[in-house]
Amino acid sequence: MNALGNEASAEAVTVLLLEDDAPTLWRLQDALTRAGYQVRAAGTLAEARAALAKGAPKVLLTDLQLPDGHGVDLIRETRQRFPDTEIMVISILGDEESVISAITVGATGYLLKDAFPTDIAATVRDLVAGHSPISASIARFIVRRTQNNAEPPPGPALNTAKLTPREIDILWGIAKGFSYAEIASHLGLSRQTVPGHIKSIYRKLEVHTRGEAVFEAVQQGLIRL
Amino acid sequence: MPGLVWYIVLQALIAVIWAVILRLPPPEPAPQYLLSGFTLREAGVTRPVTLPHFSASRFSMDDPPLYSGRFDWTGADAKRAWSVLLPRFTNGVEVSVNGVVILDSRRDPAANRPDRNTPEIAVIPASVLREGANDLAIRLFVWGPITGFLDRVFVGPDEALRPSYDARTLLFVTLPVVFSAWQAILAVILGIMWVMRRHEPAYGVLAAAMAIGVAQAFLQTPMGESPFSRVNVVLISSAPLESALVLTFALLFFGWKWQRWAFLMFAPGILLALGGLFGHQTLSRALFLFLGVPMVGVSLLVLAYVAARAALQRQNVAGLLLGCAATAMLTGWIFDLLSVFQLMPNRIFVARLSYSALLVAIGAGLTWRFASALNQVDGFAGRLVTRVREAEDKLKASFAREEERARAAALARERTRLMRDLHDGLGGQLVSIVALSERGHAGASVGDAARAALKDLRLVIDSMDDIGGDLMLALGSWRERAMAQLRPHDMALHWHAVTAQGLPVHPELRPWHVIQIVRLLDEGLTNAVKHAATRTVTVTIETLAGADGLDRGRITVADDGRGFDVAAGAAKAARGLRNMRDRAARCGAELELDSDAAGTRVRLTLPHRFPDSDAAAI
Repeated sequence: MNALGNEASAEAVTVLLLEDDAPTLWRLQDALTRAGYQVRAAGTLAEARAALAKGAPKVLLTDLQLPDGHGVDLIRETRQRFPDTEIMVISILGDEESVISAITVGATGYLLKDAFPTDIAATVRDLVAGHSPISASIARFIVRRTQNNAEPPPGPALNTAKLTPREIDILWGIAKGFSYAEIASHLGLSRQTVPGHIKSIYRKLEVHTRGEAVFEAVQQGLIRL
Repeated sequence: MPGLVWYIVLQALIAVIWAVILRLPPPEPAPQYLLSGFTLREAGVTRPVTLPHFSASRFSMDDPPLYSGRFDWTGADAKRAWSVLLPRFTNGVEVSVNGVVILDSRRDPAANRPDRNTPEIAVIPASVLREGANDLAIRLFVWGPITGFLDRVFVGPDEALRPSYDARTLLFVTLPVVFSAWQAILAVILGIMWVMRRHEPAYGVLAAAMAIGVAQAFLQTPMGESPFSRVNVVLISSAPLESALVLTFALLFFGWKWQRWAFLMFAPGILLALGGLFGHQTLSRALFLFLGVPMVGVSLLVLAYVAARAALQRQNVAGLLLGCAATAMLTGWIFDLLSVFQLMPNRIFVARLSYSALLVAIGAGLTWRFASALNQVDGFAGRLVTRVREAEDKLKASFAREEERARAAALARERTRLMRDLHDGLGGQLVSIVALSERGHAGASVGDAARAALKDLRLVIDSMDDIGGDLMLALGSWRERAMAQLRPHDMALHWHAVTAQGLPVHPELRPWHVIQIVRLLDEGLTNAVKHAATRTVTVTIETLAGADGLDRGRITVADDGRGFDVAAGAAKAARGLRNMRDRAARCGAELELDSDAAGTRVRLTLPHRFPDSDAAAI
């Protein structure tokens, strides 16, 4: 019902949806179309690239495991060619590793496959509005990387060195299930600034170039020169 | 048997070599200075004698035998000092030239010891000498029991006589002192050894023997009456006492079991001491000859036998050394005996000197034993190190095995738990979905069942994540799911963490605790959705400071619905409640449920420490 209210503003928003499982694709397409988004659907990386060649969408919504490759490659390409495009990962069960690896190549949000249609539309809308969603489990995954463990936890490498203590506090709050309002009051922030911090966290976790990736690997001690 | 033969041959060899050494003539000046033509006046009778001369044993200082001789001196010799050399005498001499006394050996304590072979030299004052013939008179003081003895006498330039005097002094005076010092050191070392090792009395006994020897050597025996003369006489008993102690040491050292009658060994020495203290000097001296000397000989014989046995039967190196030393000493003792009974042309006592051989043997034996003990300790330490290392390796291996087993067991437990969790939740829900779709129930109910299945799968996956004992991290994910669950029902979730920290951290928290707690909360939430007809569910998280200083976490799920009768619920609701209580019990948590018209409240108070084993699940 929130989506209906925003129909007029959402009209111009184009979404490129890449999902190989047909029922899921239909379901997401239905939810987004009903919310007023202009959706182009693709089932393979090749189709998605063809669609991208015709023009940049506002939002790229992509699955990661695809029949002709991995969604991460598409995310990286899109990030480089269309910096204004918001990129979201479609995830089943919010599995942190896939989401985090997508974040490091430029994704700024994720969408659960089984989310309710209204939630699907709301998430995309929030993202376009500049609010990156972040789940407790992903926040937990990130903050665990900020702790100095002798043995790095399993999963993709993640450079958290750029995160400020405040951002880490926010992530802790999210991981523990606090709302943005609660986090803001605990940390003495304005509630409105919390989404901005989260967006900033996403940006900081992104590894922009190959050179930077090497630099950060050195920073984290993964590579010894 | 060949061992015995070899041993006897060796001892015979030692005895022969020692005898040859002892027969070597002691240093003497050139024969041209030898004085001859002495006359002896004894008991009023004067007769010519040839030196060396033995005179009868006496017990009085009065009217001693007087040896008179003559020597020529010319004024041409006035530039050089002339001396009289008496290489050997027993027991004391008074020398006078031309009626002037120039030497009285009784004032030299070393010379008073018949066992020391002390020579005497005296420079003749030039004023006493006359051109031509000079008279030399030697009064020989003899005190029993041994007979008097006067070796040949030399008169001549001091430079010609003194080298042989010095050589004799070195051999018969200085060397015994050196050996006595050696004995003193041995006494100290052995004494310390005995103090540190009281269970080895042998060393104490030997230390006592050495101490007596040292006392005998260094305590002087002046002639004449003095307040200590009686005590001095006791010293005469030192030789038999010392030999008895050395023998005792040997017996103990070679493992002989001490017998009471063995104290008889000390009887001669004690008798001698008593005789010295209470009897007349002559008595004690007579006693010495008949008690002390044989005692020394008997001791040496027994010592030789005991040492031989140890050397032959047990290949004891200390035994061999001691045996050789005993042989040498016995040879010396026999020599002295022959000397005493005037069966030797000269009278040089060698037993004391031979005793030094024994001392050297004792010192060498001790050092050998000490070194071998050190080697044994080293070997033992080495073996110990090896053993400890082996034991350590074994322990490490078994520890690694144990760890591996424990890890495998933990893994198996975890697998079992995961299977049960999947089976309990997901399995049932999937079956339910299959059943619903077979009956053609498309739509809502299939969707709900599938959603529930997904939710459960998420819970199981979530619970596998390491949350470092912070239950809040699990509740964070649960909150997201709960909100997603409530949203379609237009219900709001109020999340109220009383403190920023939320719940205490439980390092012992295990995934199965998390699953039980989250499922319990899920059931509370589901009940609220299904039965309460409410708009709001409030979750309160707080930490209670216990009276005992132990913090406990509490999670409350409350709704503002119409409530229900906790006691008399429907069968399904009752089963749900029983499930909740069961889950709480498994985690050691307390569950309070109350429901009234104002709503239903599920209050879960966590334990201070979660239980290790899931007893109820077995």
